[in-house]
Amino acid sequence: MFVARSIAADHKDLIHDVSYDFHGRRMATCSSDQSVKVWDKSDNGEWNCTASWKTHSGSVWRVTWAHPEFGQVLASCSFDRTAAVWEEIVGESNDKQRGLSHWIKRTTLVDSRTSVTDVKFAPKHMGLMLTTCSADGVMRIYEAPDVMNLSQWSLQQEISSKLSCSCISWSPSSSRAHAPMIAVGSDDSNTAYSGKVHIYEYIENTRKYAKAENLMTVTDPVHDIAFAPNLGRSFHVLAIATKDVCIFKLIPMRNESAVGSSGPTKLQVQILAQFDNHNSQVWRVSWNITSTLLASSGDDGCVRLWKANYMDNWKCTAILRGDGSPVTGSSSQAAVPSTAGGPQHVIHCNLCYLSRCSTLCSQADVERTCPWSLPSSQRGVPWSPPSCPADTP
Amino acid sequence: MSGSKPDILWSPHHADRYVICDSELGLYRIGPVGSGETKAGALPLSVETAATLLAINSDTPYMKCVAWYPKHEPECLLAVGQANGRVVLTSLGQSHNSKCKELMGKEFVPKHARQCNTLAWNPVDSNWLAAGLDKHRADFSVLIWDISSKFSPEASVAAEKIRLSSGDTDSGLVVTKPLYELGQNDACLSLCWLPRDQKLLLAGMHRNLAIFDLRNTSQKTFVNTKAIQGVTVDPHFPDRVASFFEGQVAIWDLRKFEKPVLTLTEQPKPLTKVAWCPTRMGLLATLTRDSNIIRLYDMQHTPTPIGDETEPTIIERSVQPSNSLIGSFAWHPTSQNRMVVVSAANRAMTDFTVFERISLAWSSTTSLMWACGRHLYECAEEAGVGGEGTVEKDIATKMRQRAQSRYGHDMVQVWKNHLLAGGDDPQLKSLWYTLFFMKQYTEDMEQKQQGSKQALVYSGIKNIVKSSSGTTENRRCWSGSDRQTDVPRFHSEERSLALRLCGWINRGPDINVEPFLRSLEGEGEWERAAAVALFNLDIRRAIQILNKGASAERGDLNLNVVAMALSGYTDEKSSLWREMCSSLRLQLKNPYLCVMFAFLTSELGTYDGVLYESSVAVTDRVAFACMFLNDAQLPRYMEKLTSEMKEVGNLEGILLTGLTKDGVDLMESYVDRTGDVQTASFCMLKGSPGEVVKDPRVQCWIENYRNLLDAWRFWHKRAEFDIHRSKLDPSSKPLAQVFVSCNFCGKSISYSCSAMPHQGRGFSQYGVSGSPTKSKVTSCPGCRKPLPRCALCLMNMGTPVSNCPGTGHGTGKSGEKVDLTRENKLAQFNNWFTWCHNCRHGGHAGHILSWFRDHTECPVSACTCKCMQLDTTGNLVPSDSH
Repeated sequence: MFVARSIAADHKDLIHDVSYDFHGRRMATCSSDQSVKVWDKSDNGEWNCTASWKTHSGSVWRVTWAHPEFGQVLASCSFDRTAAVWEEIVGESNDKQRGLSHWIKRTTLVDSRTSVTDVKFAPKHMGLMLTTCSADGVMRIYEAPDVMNLSQWSLQQEISSKLSCSCISWSPSSSRAHAPMIAVGSDDSNTAYSGKVHIYEYIENTRKYAKAENLMTVTDPVHDIAFAPNLGRSFHVLAIATKDVCIFKLIPMRNESAVGSSGPTKLQVQILAQFDNHNSQVWRVSWNITSTLLASSGDDGCVRLWKANYMDNWKCTAILRGDGSPVTGSSSQAAVPSTAGGPQHVIHCNLCYLSRCSTLCSQADVERTCPWSLPSSQRGVPWSPPSCPADTP
Repeated sequence: MSGSKPDILWSPHHADRYVICDSELGLYRIGPVGSGETKAGALPLSVETAATLLAINSDTPYMKCVAWYPKHEPECLLAVGQANGRVVLTSLGQSHNSKCKELMGKEFVPKHARQCNTLAWNPVDSNWLAAGLDKHRADFSVLIWDISSKFSPEASVAAEKIRLSSGDTDSGLVVTKPLYELGQNDACLSLCWLPRDQKLLLAGMHRNLAIFDLRNTSQKTFVNTKAIQGVTVDPHFPDRVASFFEGQVAIWDLRKFEKPVLTLTEQPKPLTKVAWCPTRMGLLATLTRDSNIIRLYDMQHTPTPIGDETEPTIIERSVQPSNSLIGSFAWHPTSQNRMVVVSAANRAMTDFTVFERISLAWSSTTSLMWACGRHLYECAEEAGVGGEGTVEKDIATKMRQRAQSRYGHDMVQVWKNHLLAGGDDPQLKSLWYTLFFMKQYTEDMEQKQQGSKQALVYSGIKNIVKSSSGTTENRRCWSGSDRQTDVPRFHSEERSLALRLCGWINRGPDINVEPFLRSLEGEGEWERAAAVALFNLDIRRAIQILNKGASAERGDLNLNVVAMALSGYTDEKSSLWREMCSSLRLQLKNPYLCVMFAFLTSELGTYDGVLYESSVAVTDRVAFACMFLNDAQLPRYMEKLTSEMKEVGNLEGILLTGLTKDGVDLMESYVDRTGDVQTASFCMLKGSPGEVVKDPRVQCWIENYRNLLDAWRFWHKRAEFDIHRSKLDPSSKPLAQVFVSCNFCGKSISYSCSAMPHQGRGFSQYGVSGSPTKSKVTSCPGCRKPLPRCALCLMNMGTPVSNCPGTGHGTGKSGEKVDLTRENKLAQFNNWFTWCHNCRHGGHAGHILSWFRDHTECPVSACTCKCMQLDTTGNLVPSDSH
């Protein structure tokens, strides 16, 4: 039996994106009401909105967190053709006690001439980088050369394609065996242009990203794309939301001879799974931290969970209804009227999900004495009190 | 609308009724499935709703268009436009009050017969019904009828003509004089009344859109366009109108009527219906011919400051209500985003809700958040509520639980780690026992000062037997049996070592499996014990074990039968026993029973039935091979088994590969398969230092595991892991990252404790370093100048903290006392230096902590720094502390 817990979001229009921070204790939402809200999880598991502010002058499509190593930093992108980087300033807030925090805009990225459809930070081992993509088919890679200064971003590279871009994903692998990689999806509705997913790889020699792969089999509009957390695996897994849920496996060919790495790595592409269970356009895909569970949402108004068995056979393990209402007849296999087996009909939920009741321990009182909650540097860099020169051995 | 293609009209006042019209009119009521109201003949529309047919009206042939009377009374009055241009009022259902009766069957007849394309009731003046007709020479094409008008005698002549032509005899109800006649010398394809004013009528004429003002019929506003079909006003925005032509939809703003404000992407097929959603702002649904999808355009009316030339945000999406081609659809008047769809072919209906697009995200702790519309929903994997427990927990959940149970940290009784992991995974069990036996052997060797073997033992049985030399073969006969056949068995020092690593024999020179058998018996693994006894050529012991197993609590009585069969063993090549055993053994469910008979019936030297029985534990197969395969066969078998294990990533294979590059390969495919970097990290750290640990893949697993622990806020576990790791791999020890130097001489003041290994990696950023209590110095060891003072007790740093820190400020909370006793345990820590990196004020850690328990600002006078709030991560609490 599954009961989703509803949270009063209080957005005035559609919520377009929801994003957790690294620890899963903070969350950001963005909406057509042009605002972003930041939520903090209290010790009893309740989500409290601690900040809500107008970010753009158009619908905000996506919001995403930087790794906490770079501070409390968000990026958002909007229909107003811009992307923005935000930083939380706690010290300057005058009523932290009431649980409100203050976010200020560090930069606005105005290079796009059309709606910016996605923004993503690079994995932290690459430093503070972010990519945006826009409806006119341009992907831009920015870097903050100084991680302490979030207001300076330099445009590293612009990659244009003739198809409008809808989504991007960084390969999260930190393995030195894998070069940095970005996948871009296009929602161009013309199926005549095949290859709606392009994969770019960083070439050490030229210090630029170059196209490594074009998934020709994906011809329908792509709405979302997500690299799975790599977790030390030797290959990459990529989930694609298009008319189906697709899971691709990208195996880098270990070519020992090409040490010079003058060109992108050859990727062997396998399709692991393709599901049309949503029976409609798939809107979003998201991986859990170990990339063993995939969640997808579709126009059928349902969220589906997918899991692979040890043979790499992916199966749907749960169907959750998008409005949070309990799945009817879920106590047993619901008898579906044969004549009306419409796609919106929820059948069954066989993973048992319950409302979230704070499974995380909440020892706030105990941990006040935790040594590491002392006032400290926001960014993990070595330092010494400024009056004393660093005593390097 | 042709006769064959159905259309749907939703009742303007009853949210549960609609009419389907194709060749006849059918009134349906929609209700929840299985409720008392719905009768047996209800048609299911979705899982939850069904429709009941209430009434059918087939009085009006040649229907071209239908419009539902907008007022409450009479309830079910419909105007039907016919192919000959007549408009007939008809009704569905029971309500035949006087007013309705009067109107029923009333006909409105144009001068010249031609097709009636469209009908529209005036929403305010509900007596007015506008009809749009095809062109007939110079005649008018838009006629507005007043349904309350009486039969007019002067029109009877015209009516007479019509009557003659159509053969109609019901003269009393025929009206031929329209209230208004508009659109001369033109055709009208679509009509709608504008909500701005009841006298304004928007008409899609032959090649233009025209607005007729009934207050002044000589005037009309018009714009030339092809998009003249299906004009419809946005119910939420009275100046916004949609119309279409072929595959293109045009959106008009009546205040700027010169050109469409927007044209939507052209569809390859002609459109048949366009409708604004009555329950949601700016949502337009369109349907094309021969299509099973409905395309939706979500027009977000967001004012953009960029300028007029920008188009509004449009989110385009398509929905597929059912698999069949759609004939028509109608939005539900009140229910959010809901519509009923009727199929083109067989009038099959579907109740369908257009769902908002859901965006979703997993948190690091495997809870799922999604946003649907304006709402957020959260759910999490609930551990162990699976009922039957059929669904295996996700590896993320498993790793979290294992981290909390200190999995991997037991360095003495290494095998116990599999119990810490839950004790239900045979691969992990095998792995940790293997590592345990390897460690045990290494320790034995260390005592005997034989360093060379130590490296060998971690290189796995495959390499151990490869180096085997001086194998002796001795033929042993069955003990406890009178059979004479000798079975060749092979011995060497390496093979004994291999048997030991398999856990079959204990330390010592003798091959004595008796302790192993006893432990198997203790665990109730009767079949396995019997098989091991049999492989040691002790058939009597095997039978004894089986008997014991049969008589044990919850034992399997069939074991007695097996024992009986066993006792009949004969080495006659062509005996009936042999024949039956070879064929029937395959039906035995237990793999160990199966291999027992395979062993007994096999030819000497060929034991494939045992060696390739994949459900037998790898340890047992390897041990078996070490006893019965000769020096040529054994390495080949080992090689084969190893590559098989590597292929599937089976951790039992670590026994063969050891912690070598082979082992890393095997672990790689295990990690590829499971993502279990936790086991991989701990296992590889057990290897001899400096070799496998240096493998970039191993480093990658370790980093990924540490990252997982950090994401879960298992910081204590991460620190423990780092300590554990630096014990086994000293090269991983991080350098100190903070140096505190004296204000005066610039030298480090921490020389006295430089040897203290108290800084785990990643902690040092939180700014703690300094002298513990044993150092009594309150001055710089270099220049003897005093150290800074604590901002609270005003003592020089280095002074041990008194037992009552921070009470001078008179807060005197009762909670403080309790904390103090606890803090005594942390006395060492209380003496540490700490400071705010922002305002650079600081003091004893204990004092500072107790100050910030009640304050947000720095304790130094006139300093307004909010030291405690500078770092949000610092305010997070580790989730793994006790």
